[in-house]
Amino acid sequence: MSEFALEVKSLSHVFGAYQVLDNINLQVLPGQIVAVVGPSGCGKSTLLKAILGTHPPTQGEIITDGIPVSGPNRNVGIVYQNYALYDFLTAEKNVSFGLKLDETSLSMRLFAPRKYFARRRVHFERSRDFLHQVGLADACGKYPKEMSGGMKQRVAVAQAFIMRPKIVLLDEPFGALDEAMREDLQIMLLRFYQENLIAKREGRRPEYTILMVTHELNEAIYVADRVIGLSRFHTQGDRGATIVYDRPCPVFSPDDPRDFSKFVEQREELRKAVFDENDLKDRNKNVTFWKELGSLANSVAAIK
Amino acid sequence: MIRRPVPPWLFWLLAIGGVAALLGAYEIVSVRATGINPLQTTIPSFEKLGEGFKQIFRAQGLPENPKPPMFWVDIPATLWRLVIGMTAGVTASIVVGVLMGAYRWIEAPLSPVVMFLSKIPPIAMMPIYLALVGIDQKMFTSMVAMGIFFSMTQSIYQAVRQDVSDEAINKAYTLGASELEIIYEVIWKQILPKIIDSIRLQIGPAMGFLLAAEMVVGNAGLGYQIRMQSRSLNMSVIFVYLVILGFIGLIAEWGLATLRRKLCPWYVD
Repeated sequence: MSEFALEVKSLSHVFGAYQVLDNINLQVLPGQIVAVVGPSGCGKSTLLKAILGTHPPTQGEIITDGIPVSGPNRNVGIVYQNYALYDFLTAEKNVSFGLKLDETSLSMRLFAPRKYFARRRVHFERSRDFLHQVGLADACGKYPKEMSGGMKQRVAVAQAFIMRPKIVLLDEPFGALDEAMREDLQIMLLRFYQENLIAKREGRRPEYTILMVTHELNEAIYVADRVIGLSRFHTQGDRGATIVYDRPCPVFSPDDPRDFSKFVEQREELRKAVFDENDLKDRNKNVTFWKELGSLANSVAAIK
Repeated sequence: MIRRPVPPWLFWLLAIGGVAALLGAYEIVSVRATGINPLQTTIPSFEKLGEGFKQIFRAQGLPENPKPPMFWVDIPATLWRLVIGMTAGVTASIVVGVLMGAYRWIEAPLSPVVMFLSKIPPIAMMPIYLALVGIDQKMFTSMVAMGIFFSMTQSIYQAVRQDVSDEAINKAYTLGASELEIIYEVIWKQILPKIIDSIRLQIGPAMGFLLAAEMVVGNAGLGYQIRMQSRSLNMSVIFVYLVILGFIGLIAEWGLATLRRKLCPWYVD
């Protein structure tokens, strides 16, 4: 097992003559929740699609858990803004869909039906447990068409995480939800983070590693423990967007008050570094995550 | 006001009224035609229709050498041809349509061909089937199967392109699906209600192609019998056959709608 859940090595992407992404280097540790922010059209989605494997980069390499990505695969989970649930499956079956693909086969279903159904029963149990954990205990038998946006997004999150991929990509996951739903789901992610901390304390590998694209700066800082800013605004020429901001950010526990005033300064700093066209600077000025990792460890210790 | 709701009792009353009006109008026309020519058989009275109904169940041929009644000759012949032809056509179009929707390199060469051939009225292609496969069962099967194949392939392929999002497919890959699993577990299951619906929509055209073929080359079947009876202006049998065709269509429609509700409870149209 590799030390990193995800490694992006000098990744560049070009559309025709237009350079979208320029020399992106990124390493994500297991258990991190990384938020990616940036002006619209800066290439956040392109980066995400490259990591997912559907749109390979023109240059560079992506490695998940030591294995190079050559297409969408079992190591990288995905949660889309539009949920993309399977209409023909109930919540419970949507969540256990991946388990079915992993652990059963058509020939097993035809020739060893007892074994097949026994396995499926276990899958449904696990899936119900997970749905319970994300607050959907009552909706197990519902079809996506019968659920609200927030419920669907919880199912989509459970569907991705139950497979324990090395990393899960969230593509503007809560963009289509109302404020109350958004809050609930943010708190759900903070709960996952708490479980990561418990796993680390017990010497296990944390299970929830997340790369989340969002356009909400507050959401980014509140949910994530590390924020990455993608932007074209840097002094190294107009050569495409790259990481111009990479710093740790405060960790909230799900029970803490949602107090955004605690990180006003960082929010300002982030806004200036990533979104301000006039504030051109060395692209590495705010890329200090790994230097600050020591202090992050301290803040984790403080929560313990 | 457009779409103003109507109370259920009134809705049913109007529905029954519609049927009654149709029958009433027929009766009036029939009585007037009989007034002009008492021996007319073009618009038979209900009484004569009743006789026609009895006639189709009566043994044919001479008393010393009876043959089975028309009904038991024509209906099985036509339904059998329809079922065989549609099974072949539907199966082929599902295979080709799904593959076209799933693989761009299959879609590219086939889509212009399918689109062009689906525009040619299948009845116009009858001489080709006559020349290629002869006038027996194969002719009816190929008429029905090829008649529905092109348009049904196109609608299945459209359903795959529209109803199965790239996201759903990419996500299936991230959940560990193989290509075969994506085709069966994602694409097939997502478009199954659309397939059932398009079968339902194809029954009418398929019946049309089949009857046309039977009128030309058959020696049994609804189309053959209708042509035979129309030669002697024996409308009492023809009208009964038309009513039977209507009921066959209704039953097939109801059966497939029920099947869709059973297999795809998630689908709302």
